[in-house]
Amino acid sequence: MSQSQRRAVVITGVGVVNAAVVGASAALEAWLQHPRTGARAPAGRARPVLRLSKEMLGALIDPDEGRRLARVCQLTIAAARLAVAEAGVDPARGLGLVVGSELGDFTSTIAFADGYLARGPAGLSPLLFPSTVMNTMAATTAIAVASRELSLTINVPTIAGELAIARGVAAVASGRVDAVLAGGVDELDPLVAEMLDALGDEGVRGEGATFLVLEAESTARARRATVLGRLAGAAWRSLPARPWGVGRRVASGAIDEVLRRAARPAPGWIYASASGDTPRDAWEARVLSAALGSRRAPAVSLAGLVGQHAGLGALHVAAAAWTARSGVLPAGSGGEPTRVSGCGLVHGLGRGGGQAALVVEAA
Amino acid sequence: MRRVLVTGLGAVSPFGAGVKAFWAGLAAGTCAIRPLTLIAAEGFRCRIAAEVPEIAAGSRRRSRADRLALGAAVEALEDAGLGAGERADAALVVGAVGGGMLEAESWYWARARGQRTPGWAASLRSMLPAATAETLAHRLALGGPRHTVVTACSSGAVALAEAAELIADGVVDCAVAGGVDAVTRLCFMGFNALRLLDPEPCRPFDRERRGMSIGEGAAFVVLEAAEHARARGARVYAELAGHGMTTDAHHVTAPQPDGEGMARAMGAALAAAGLTPNAIGYVNAHGTATPQNDRIEARAITRVFGPGRVLVSSSKSMIGHTMAAAGSLEAVATIQALIHETVPPTANFTTPDPDVDFDCVPRVAREAAMEHAISNSFGFGGQNVTLLFRRV
Repeated sequence: MSQSQRRAVVITGVGVVNAAVVGASAALEAWLQHPRTGARAPAGRARPVLRLSKEMLGALIDPDEGRRLARVCQLTIAAARLAVAEAGVDPARGLGLVVGSELGDFTSTIAFADGYLARGPAGLSPLLFPSTVMNTMAATTAIAVASRELSLTINVPTIAGELAIARGVAAVASGRVDAVLAGGVDELDPLVAEMLDALGDEGVRGEGATFLVLEAESTARARRATVLGRLAGAAWRSLPARPWGVGRRVASGAIDEVLRRAARPAPGWIYASASGDTPRDAWEARVLSAALGSRRAPAVSLAGLVGQHAGLGALHVAAAAWTARSGVLPAGSGGEPTRVSGCGLVHGLGRGGGQAALVVEAA
Repeated sequence: MRRVLVTGLGAVSPFGAGVKAFWAGLAAGTCAIRPLTLIAAEGFRCRIAAEVPEIAAGSRRRSRADRLALGAAVEALEDAGLGAGERADAALVVGAVGGGMLEAESWYWARARGQRTPGWAASLRSMLPAATAETLAHRLALGGPRHTVVTACSSGAVALAEAAELIADGVVDCAVAGGVDAVTRLCFMGFNALRLLDPEPCRPFDRERRGMSIGEGAAFVVLEAAEHARARGARVYAELAGHGMTTDAHHVTAPQPDGEGMARAMGAALAAAGLTPNAIGYVNAHGTATPQNDRIEARAITRVFGPGRVLVSSSKSMIGHTMAAAGSLEAVATIQALIHETVPPTANFTTPDPDVDFDCVPRVAREAAMEHAISNSFGFGGQNVTLLFRRV
């Protein structure tokens, strides 16, 4: 399919579950007007993490699922169901699933290993083993929402959520599927938090899930769905960097490609992936400056409010749809909201050089 | 949509390094499943696996998975003869599950004994599935779109499907795609806990089959848009003419009993290639050798192709289940079968199963003229993928 034959892709449903905001697009919009951070809880030795309370998550999940499923799967299913319910899509007509995750289910993996270390082969839990594979969130969510088309789990540092949305956009734009549920999810196990501390990771970490229903605009309009925003372009590339490292090169294929695809000279505003990881944040700032030059627009990241996790990238896309409609770029950590116009760029640059860019506009 | 051709092949398998060794082992029907040496197996019912004998690629400081992947990816790139400029724009899609978990397990086991090994925290960087893609991109200067897919045992095949879509949609002209997994304690212990491992080398589709054997390895291919391959005079091995990806949405570990999701993946691949089932000469089956999986896959194959018509074999009878590498290693096996017009056998097969209504090519490879062949891969979570290759 040539670029010109690509179908327009719109957002018709949003589900957000994290320490600061829980709900569909209305809850997200209310929060974006007066964004506040969630409660911080200790994780690891020194690291606070923005963590959703057990009670809050329990209210979103069927009690049987609450007993049976790992917490990270519960986060995924809760957000996925909110998005599907808001969109009103019929999974029987074809619904794909793309889950981005940076860390997967370390909690279950560690519990599985601990069973062996404590009791030998007799201590191994066959129920925990499937959760050691990172697609466990996709597997349980596909069952929960009856998604029977392509199902992908994408793993990449930092930008798993942005990349999952970009991959979902590609699936719909190419015509391979009419609707995709795409987003990201992570939780932070205390041991992983300890490892991140030891690695000098300075970013604010969080946990949670954000999922979006992406649909062909023609399909969404035909069924009179509420359209929350249009994804005018999506692209992903890689910049040279050592594994988990921060690179020096700033020439950005993804931003050029996505603006060309969206036929826009420049974005009016930017949601960036800055999270307090100082060297990576500085690299992203240089990449954006190199790509946009004098066209540089006001930028924000919500990482300081909800913490870095794979749901953040998808949250930025959902927030960008609201900004495109309202003309308001919310304040990140402190500061005042900014009046903006035009289309927005959602950008992610991860450790290791993974890069994703999406152009979001009002529909 | 642009046509997608295979112009480079690379494999590191339990038969050793290289596609040549891999195909020679398969065509000879050699079983590479032997006593496990990489990890302790005391106390487990199964103590065998198909390990890669030696890995030449990469520093020993890298994870075993990264070294397996480097060996296969370097071979594929050199085979394709891609220049630096083409590599700089090439996509990279990696199917992975375990990442550098084998090494991470070592420090975690030491930690449980109260020891702290140097660099323990750094293992977080290498144990995630995405670590291999980062290593390959960095070492091989691959600068196009890059992502790592985790779909359990179908990850390697999904990587090829993903790369094919990037080329077909005009996003890139070339892509390096494949899967990798090293033997890990978690995987070995997990399948033991599920009682899915046979203490003897596995016997796919045999009536007496008792479960799978674990394996390890890596395979990468270079995929290219047809016009790009023609323009640079590339040697072409096969066309990736279609693929299908479906989800059962049934159970986290068990496939849908009627095989509908598997059949849908095969049907989607046929539809994408514009072919009818009669065009397919060979099915490289997922064929894990667990009683349930083989029965359901056999049901799905018969549903699509009819009883008794198509030749079917399982490479896992020789190299074990190489997890995220399985889909890409078996894709290379399928391409080699088309090139040599030879169907590799199902080793260890002695007793036909009345539930398996096709010719499993027992023990000895068979010459067979064919124009098209498919490779099936199915993963935990009901993740079904079929790749369809056309002989060129």
